[in-house]
Amino acid sequence: MVFSSVIFLFRFFPFFFLLYYLVPGRVKNLVLFLGSLFFYAWGEPVYVLLMLFSTMVDYTHGRLLERFRGKAAAKGILLSSVIINLFVLCFFKYADFLVQTVNSLTGFSLPLLDLPLPIGISFYTFQTMSYTIDVYRGEAKVQRNLLDFGVFVTMFPQLIAGPIVKYRDVEERLHRRSVTLTDISAGLQRFCVGMAKKVLLANNMGELWTFVSAKDFGELGMLTAWLGIIAFGFQIYFDFSGYSDMAIGMGRMLGFGFPENFNYPYISASVTEFWRRWHISLGSWFREYVYIPLGGNRKGLPRQLFNILVVWMLTGIWHGAGWNFLLWGLWFALALMLEKLFLGKVLAWLPRAAGILYTLCVSIGGWVLFALETPEGILGYFKAMAGMAGGVLDSTFLYLGRQNAALLLIAVAASTPLPHMLGEKLKNSRTGAGMALYSLGGKIIPAALLLLSIAGIVEASYNPFLYFRF
Amino acid sequence: MNEKRNAVVTIALIASILLVFTVADLIQGDRLFSEAENRVLASRPKFSVEALLQGSYTKNYETYATDQFVSRDKWIAIKTYTDIALCKEEINGVYLGKGGYLIEQHLPEDYPEELVEEKLGMLKKLVERWDAQVMLVPTADNILRERMPAYAPYYDQTVLLGRVEEEIGSENYIDAYAALTEHAQEPIYYRTDHHWTSLGAYYGYLAWAQSRKDRTSQDKKAGQSEEAGRYGAERLATAAEGFLGTLHSKVNIKTGTDTIRYFPETLDRPLKVTYDLKEIRDSCYEESHLDTKNKYGFFLDDNHALVEINTDYHNGKTLFVIKDSYANCFVPLLIPYYERIYIMDLRYFNGRLFSFMESREPEDGMDVLVLYNCIHFLEGFRYLQ
Repeated sequence: MVFSSVIFLFRFFPFFFLLYYLVPGRVKNLVLFLGSLFFYAWGEPVYVLLMLFSTMVDYTHGRLLERFRGKAAAKGILLSSVIINLFVLCFFKYADFLVQTVNSLTGFSLPLLDLPLPIGISFYTFQTMSYTIDVYRGEAKVQRNLLDFGVFVTMFPQLIAGPIVKYRDVEERLHRRSVTLTDISAGLQRFCVGMAKKVLLANNMGELWTFVSAKDFGELGMLTAWLGIIAFGFQIYFDFSGYSDMAIGMGRMLGFGFPENFNYPYISASVTEFWRRWHISLGSWFREYVYIPLGGNRKGLPRQLFNILVVWMLTGIWHGAGWNFLLWGLWFALALMLEKLFLGKVLAWLPRAAGILYTLCVSIGGWVLFALETPEGILGYFKAMAGMAGGVLDSTFLYLGRQNAALLLIAVAASTPLPHMLGEKLKNSRTGAGMALYSLGGKIIPAALLLLSIAGIVEASYNPFLYFRF
Repeated sequence: MNEKRNAVVTIALIASILLVFTVADLIQGDRLFSEAENRVLASRPKFSVEALLQGSYTKNYETYATDQFVSRDKWIAIKTYTDIALCKEEINGVYLGKGGYLIEQHLPEDYPEELVEEKLGMLKKLVERWDAQVMLVPTADNILRERMPAYAPYYDQTVLLGRVEEEIGSENYIDAYAALTEHAQEPIYYRTDHHWTSLGAYYGYLAWAQSRKDRTSQDKKAGQSEEAGRYGAERLATAAEGFLGTLHSKVNIKTGTDTIRYFPETLDRPLKVTYDLKEIRDSCYEESHLDTKNKYGFFLDDNHALVEINTDYHNGKTLFVIKDSYANCFVPLLIPYYERIYIMDLRYFNGRLFSFMESREPEDGMDVLVLYNCIHFLEGFRYLQ
């Protein structure tokens, strides 16, 4: 089930939350667990069993770790958990990619498995792994209650598109949590804003990108090519951060405090900063469980550069089983390494605007690698962006620019902290009018955004789910 | 305290939006058909364990829930007006043209070279075997250029038409493009529908008559005036007003309406019109459609695989028309020229075209006319020899 659907908004959401608030405290976890299974099984009626298998595996390994704490066997138990988790992930996500690569390198024709990728597998596998590793390290207590652990793994708000919640982030709240009216109200507001980002901004930007990417790249004007890929950058940002907002909002309505996942990435003045603001929960997962164990920055510069390379190759391939995603990771690794070597110092010396411009260019170039899957497509598109295909200015750009100018302006504004700052300014204005306006806007804006989003969902001409490859 | 009150109001507002529409959606019944969108809506899927495990049940259920959602038409209107407020001039594949014209969008990348080659090959074979006349009518985006949004992309049909003329020879090619371009300021296309109007068809008819004269006699000027005199644009009669066509269905905004007109001269003499070999009528106009949304169905009773018209003009001549719906308001103008007219829509015909045509061909031969708009020609012109 995806959030931006009639089924979710007008069946699952109202019935689930009504039931959830009506039942007494200890039953809430059961309602949440069963509701989440229904939510997942709606889209994955078979793979829901795989998710339950993963849950059982890590629950059992956690218990075993507790039993053999401090003994030699503990390491073996951790290894067993990591191997099973990674095997499941690799089998469903990367097996065909490997087979294809082997086939194309050797000329064999090994058969493909043709398994559809279980939705959200990369998210929940990373969550369960974080649990076992944290228990092994003694950073989290073992969970003896299978239901509470099941809630942690399967919880529907963050299940299919993140944020990746670490076990210790929610450990306390799994068995004791309370919800205030302010939580519900703020959660709903956040949910509406996230929905609007997805339906009103991301989907419209996606249509613009779809329009451009359907063209023959050999005839694409430079400005059109830039417009198209910028639209894609907006689409993926608003889609992804919109989903995170909805997840965080609903998490709050349930009494959880999920970690933030996006923090205005497009105002970053370096790629290093970009990755502290983009998909924060994934970045921190890799930092904690791969980069730092590899030695991080504590073993000298060459080793640090190597670690960056490894982590960003993994980050790339995490986003999908394809060479273009690996390339996308390498692209950022290169920028990060250059920043560590000398570019960071140069950027610090330059005005912030120059850093922002540079970072935008790197991320926009990255989106070409991310969005297009074939070498011909990627090269052709870069050529068009360089003005070597269809000249600089074509009528397509004039047309698309005119049609989307208003939307682009809104998108630019919405990807900066400006709207938030405006709100804060009103809130702290200490004048009656300012505060009244703030309070009114806090009610009217989410409600209006929700209504407009419903219209977009019902019309539903373009409403893709982008994370089926993650 | 103030914070708590704020929270309660916010919750009440947002929750009531979700709850009110949930309840309303649950209690309202299902619709079979959407008049506004002019399509059959999805109905509740049948449950089976197999469909559930394959994932098709839940997928179909989502389509069903979205199609049947309460006040669907109003939500779509909200979405459309939001787009318009954001300065969009294209909604759901339709340009919002100047002067209240809705113009269907056709993008060049949708008509690749291979497709054009394939259709030209088939057309050439048909022309070579039957010495057919070909009239491909440009769509509104090519003719009403001044009414299009600025810089709006469109599939330029002049290239296609130039190649058609080159392939089949100009004696078999009827230039509707020039005929319509000359009258681009007149209402030759409906404002809310993708068809040309009877007036547009009339200018097409003049081009047809001219080309017919060119083939038979050298005296061009005399021919033109005689044909022009047979019908008069000023004598067009109104069949129905308040027509909102297929393009209106796609955008569903408040627009002006169109009027269905016809040439009364086409009713001068009795006719026998046979639809699909069985239904027999005495007119090429079907008034029953005028009370429905699809008022263009007035002309030749909408879509049929085969229509046969027997006229009261006993000149022994037969015409075989291979066509799309553009021909429906055009063919009546040809009635005085033929004793018998066959009208075939290839979308609904699965037999072998040439042998079927041979079975209908009189001993002294027949005229053959191919009439499509350029887009329908590329999308729908196909036959088995």
